[in-house]
Amino acid sequence: MSKNSLFIGLLCFAISSSWFSGANAASQRLILTGSSTVAPLVGEIARQYESMHPGVRIDVQTGGSSRGINDTRNGVADIGMVSRALKPTEKDLQAFAIALDGISMIVHANNPITALSKQQIADIFTGKIINWKTVGGVDARITVVNKAEGRSTLELFLQYFQLRNSQIKPHIIIGDNPQGIKTITGNPHAIGYVSIGAAEYETKRGAPIRLLALDGIDASIENLHTGVFPLSRPLNLVTAKIPRGLTQSFIIFARSQQVRPLVKAQYFVPVRVD
Amino acid sequence: MLEVITMDKWQSYRDRFIQLLIYCLVLLVSAVFVWILFDLIKGGWSHLSWEFLTQSPFDAGRSGGIGPILISTLLILLVALITALPLAWTTAALLAEYVPVTSQFGKTIRFSLQVLAGVPSIVFGLFGNAFFSIYLGLGFSILSGGLTLACMLLPILVSTAEAGLRAVPQSYRLSAAALGMSRTATLIQLLLPAAAPTLAAGLLLGIGRAVAETAALLFTSGYVDRMPDSLLDSGRALALHIFDLAMNVPGGDTPAYASALVLVVLLLCINILAMKLAYGLQRRRIMSL
Repeated sequence: MSKNSLFIGLLCFAISSSWFSGANAASQRLILTGSSTVAPLVGEIARQYESMHPGVRIDVQTGGSSRGINDTRNGVADIGMVSRALKPTEKDLQAFAIALDGISMIVHANNPITALSKQQIADIFTGKIINWKTVGGVDARITVVNKAEGRSTLELFLQYFQLRNSQIKPHIIIGDNPQGIKTITGNPHAIGYVSIGAAEYETKRGAPIRLLALDGIDASIENLHTGVFPLSRPLNLVTAKIPRGLTQSFIIFARSQQVRPLVKAQYFVPVRVD
Repeated sequence: MLEVITMDKWQSYRDRFIQLLIYCLVLLVSAVFVWILFDLIKGGWSHLSWEFLTQSPFDAGRSGGIGPILISTLLILLVALITALPLAWTTAALLAEYVPVTSQFGKTIRFSLQVLAGVPSIVFGLFGNAFFSIYLGLGFSILSGGLTLACMLLPILVSTAEAGLRAVPQSYRLSAAALGMSRTATLIQLLLPAAAPTLAAGLLLGIGRAVAETAALLFTSGYVDRMPDSLLDSGRALALHIFDLAMNVPGGDTPAYASALVLVVLLLCINILAMKLAYGLQRRRIMSL
């Protein structure tokens, strides 16, 4: 055994030590953490930025908006990603919007309902309406799909419908958007809410879901773009201090005209920076 | 007489029935695996190509490949195994060969390992993030991911290796002692090779758990899908990539299927390789004597 395995061991050691010594090759490094909704977009922006600035490494991590805020405050991350507007308690941070996202109520395509009023949606989610018949649909029990605690979509939903999470009587609790769409696809009597971009993308690819109009306004990227759709949120980059150097350069790039195709490719709406 | 015959007949019917039931259950168990494999092949086969295995992911993973992610996964696994194997197998040797079964010391170690085995992986992830990434300053890196996985693997590796060593017949140890072999030589030359199949089985369980790990790696080795330059770079593991594509990226289903297929095939290859190595070692050591 000994000669062979000793050789293999030495080889492993040599490889690993050479990997260690190469550690500080990249001269400048930027670390971002936060929202899982924003992370794929920022990952693409970072890739483009890196290709234009050799020697810069941008590491994008996820874990949710609250994590982004914590890590930015602690200095673990240079920039946080937050998929909502900052709360009054978070005004110590600087926020820079890079895109807009809207939230749409979705039901299964076989569900005859096309629109619900704000009150009806609030009643369904608080368990006051439990059958589709009450709002003009088929005689079937409503399955309420809610988002998990800590999700920005949940916070935005609660704020818009003026509810508290404890009032909601969910049957299913989901995490990310595609999971929500899959849940609704598999249950003809379910109702939930997801990001408009993700929902439009899946409907174009033939997923059997319908986006419900809200207060008479269709849930669509166009209406989000013109600002008439009420349930929308900014996707923000946040920093602890006024950004300088590499951080500043990256944030300016992330809000520039050049990244608009990337924002659209991830089904978000670019923001106007004036 | 007549009664005995009918009894026998009834018993043979019952035996047949039980046999049939067992076959059905075995089929059911394999059906689950075949179904998963079939589903993966149906969803991912058309997406699979040499480019998919070597290219970097583009457009959040919807297009491009999984090249850097495969490399990161293998590096994380390598770090985890290089750290965990020596620790685990020496601990197992200590528990099985040098400490009496009933000793308080051995019991304490075994108990703590059992507790460790029951800890959910997200807790390991948070611990790894707090200890390796922040306290030791390794940041989001393959190294901190690998070390976190090593902590997770210890209980599996130790308990399987200890069971394997205990299963070696006592007569082997007595014969070795009668021949005047030292305890160390007995352990290295005789007991470890004799227990090699069990060690390999434990190793496979460990590799399986490590490669399939998502939660513990999200906060330690991280989310970066670039080719790693060093062990101190962040690198996304394959299981995490599959999770992200399936749950976070709209339209990521097809590459997710293809990546999952790669993961299953990778596991199969590692399993076959480890089995071959273990049996080879055993044959060289024991059979050729």
